[in-house]
Amino acid sequence: MSSKLSSKLFNLLKKTSCALCSKRYVGVNVKPENVDPFMAPYSESPKDQQRLYVWGMAEHGALGDLKIRSRERQIQFIYRPVRLRFSYSHKIKDLACGYGFTVYAVESNQYKLFGCGLNTDSQIGYHDPRKGYPLGLILATVPIQLPLKEPNTKIKAVAAGRAHTLVLTNTEGVYALGSNCYGQCGRKIIENEDFSKLRNVNNITLDDGISKIICGQDHSLFITKAGKVYSCGWGADGQTGLGHYNNESQPTIVEGDIKGEKIVKVVSSADCVLALNDQGEVFGWGNSEYGQLLLDSDKYQVNKPRKLPLSKGMGKITDIGATGSACIALNDEGVVFVWGFGILGKGPEMNQSREPTPIPSILFGRNQYNPETRVKSVYSSVFHMAAITSEGNLYTWGKNKWGQLGLGHTKDQYFPLQVSVGAAVKRVSCGVDHMVALCIPYQ
Amino acid sequence: MNSLSTSERAFRLLNGIVCLYKPAGVHLSGCRHSLLLKLTQELNLCGVRSPENRVVISGDTTKELNVKVESSYADNVLVVGPRYQTQDIKCIWTTHLGKRVSGVCVIGLNKGTKMARILQNNYPLRTYHLHGQLGIMTKNMYIDGQVVEKGRFDFVKRENVDKLMSTIQASNQKKMFELANVDTQTQTAYDLATKGLIRPASTKSPLIYGIKCISLDLPNFIIEVNIINEYESYLLSLVHEIGLKLRCSATCTAIRCIRYSSFTIQQALLMKHWNLQYVLENMRECNSSYKQLSELPSFITEQSYFESNQKLTGVQ
Repeated sequence: MSSKLSSKLFNLLKKTSCALCSKRYVGVNVKPENVDPFMAPYSESPKDQQRLYVWGMAEHGALGDLKIRSRERQIQFIYRPVRLRFSYSHKIKDLACGYGFTVYAVESNQYKLFGCGLNTDSQIGYHDPRKGYPLGLILATVPIQLPLKEPNTKIKAVAAGRAHTLVLTNTEGVYALGSNCYGQCGRKIIENEDFSKLRNVNNITLDDGISKIICGQDHSLFITKAGKVYSCGWGADGQTGLGHYNNESQPTIVEGDIKGEKIVKVVSSADCVLALNDQGEVFGWGNSEYGQLLLDSDKYQVNKPRKLPLSKGMGKITDIGATGSACIALNDEGVVFVWGFGILGKGPEMNQSREPTPIPSILFGRNQYNPETRVKSVYSSVFHMAAITSEGNLYTWGKNKWGQLGLGHTKDQYFPLQVSVGAAVKRVSCGVDHMVALCIPYQ
Repeated sequence: MNSLSTSERAFRLLNGIVCLYKPAGVHLSGCRHSLLLKLTQELNLCGVRSPENRVVISGDTTKELNVKVESSYADNVLVVGPRYQTQDIKCIWTTHLGKRVSGVCVIGLNKGTKMARILQNNYPLRTYHLHGQLGIMTKNMYIDGQVVEKGRFDFVKRENVDKLMSTIQASNQKKMFELANVDTQTQTAYDLATKGLIRPASTKSPLIYGIKCISLDLPNFIIEVNIINEYESYLLSLVHEIGLKLRCSATCTAIRCIRYSSFTIQQALLMKHWNLQYVLENMRECNSSYKQLSELPSFITEQSYFESNQKLTGVQ
């Protein structure tokens, strides 16, 4: 036997005969080289390529792991949209920006919910690298563990408030994480509860099934499949709409003027709530200090839903939004109306309006060259507003203290100005000091 | 064509603007020449007036004169040339398109020259499709030039290109307010913005209103850009610069103007259709869309243009 052959045999033996090795590799699928799930694209198809852009305050980590070592370089805010790699590897179904944190619902079999940012009240789950010392600030996008009963349960939507998160699943109702100091998580209020070490997640189910969830500042709203509205949480301004100003810890049906109406959308960023029914009529409750609810009297708080006396000329309303002091509505012709107080988007001289006034469509890029351009959806946060046009252009205006408008500076913007995102924007979520936009590439 | 019995009637209809598709590789003056040549040839074929006769009075003046009508050489087609000649039709273009640029080209004929001039004074927005190729650099920044550099381009991704596009757009948005001399925080900026696009005060500096990559199929890419005050070499250098910013080299392979003001490439006449019938049909269409344009409040008519100019000079 030649020495060559013997060495070959020896090599063969070496590969297979080691008892330890063969045991270790039994039952392990051979994976391709890029095994890191964060490095592999979620889809190979060129048509299915979501992209995520974030901007705003970066100090608290709500913008996620941007790979720019923001802590080392002490970057406080990013005032221009930057792409987040996270959506390259994860197909995002829904996203929500809260007060200093961001939550993503992901279509996947393994981890279905991700979050980053402030975690002072366990609003993005319990994470303790050192046992017993949970993190209050998470600078990277991390998976959030949910006590799902079935492994096949899918997450349909997420919503985020000041310090709580709601997660809507397809079969198991709503899971609520985070602060419950006013009952916004839908469970009994416990005096002096320490939310920073909270591990349990409250499951909320309603008899007729929940189709949409909305978080206000410290209250939660649920729309059922039949179009009814349930609410719980802080009620000091009547934002729960339950006819009193107390905190409510049990989701209770909201009545008043919306009784019998099919509500399709409810919005709330601070303490004023607007609701839209399928006929295009707008209802409101909560705070009306700045004339958001178009009241005749000097009343500042409304604790029961009230139909807003919008003029017939506004047509059918298709989308609504409410900032802390102003409201925005979009009708079916693509005209944007604003009322209330603050930066309304009609120049620096107009800071208050008791009546809904339209923002000229020309500010949203509708001119003689693009007569077809119209606003498709409107969004609002506590201090700023945003609108997306049919071409996928994003326009923002409002306060810009932390660069949350994405316009490249931190000066306030008094009329809608286009944000240079670099992709067609499909959906945005406005946080109080940051924004996240879900986009697809231009075709 | 059948309705036109004589060339005079056709000639009288030739007042207005036409939207042509200028092919690449031909100078605009050459395009104008071939358009006018074709028009005059067809006009001449439609039946022209017969030459005027000449009255000859001859004989002794003290006696009865001899009056005769003769055919005149001074009006003979064989002597003075065809009835319609290219210089008989007034023709100007609105924006000058360079030799390498193809696409929409708006031309005013006869009385339409005034319309073309007004259109040009309105600072119309142009949309271009810039086709480029990565990994190659030429001396004149166009694909027919001498190659000076070749390199890798496989690292370029769609995200990189889009990021660059958004940076260019953002910097131009900033430049837009700078060129118009207004602060975005003021009421003046709002008033200006509600009137339409904020246009630069001078006609010299190019300004990009929107730029996006609509296709990236390595090594080729297409960029759609909305621009004002541009010229051919600026567009070429834009593609070149995009290549440099992507850390490779890029060369322009085609420049196509797809829209001029509200005139789109769909209504542009191809060179093979540059004849009397198509031009007249196109002219009717273009004139009606010009009328729609001129009824807009933001449209600057010649009168108001001069008035505002006078005001400016008066202030100075």
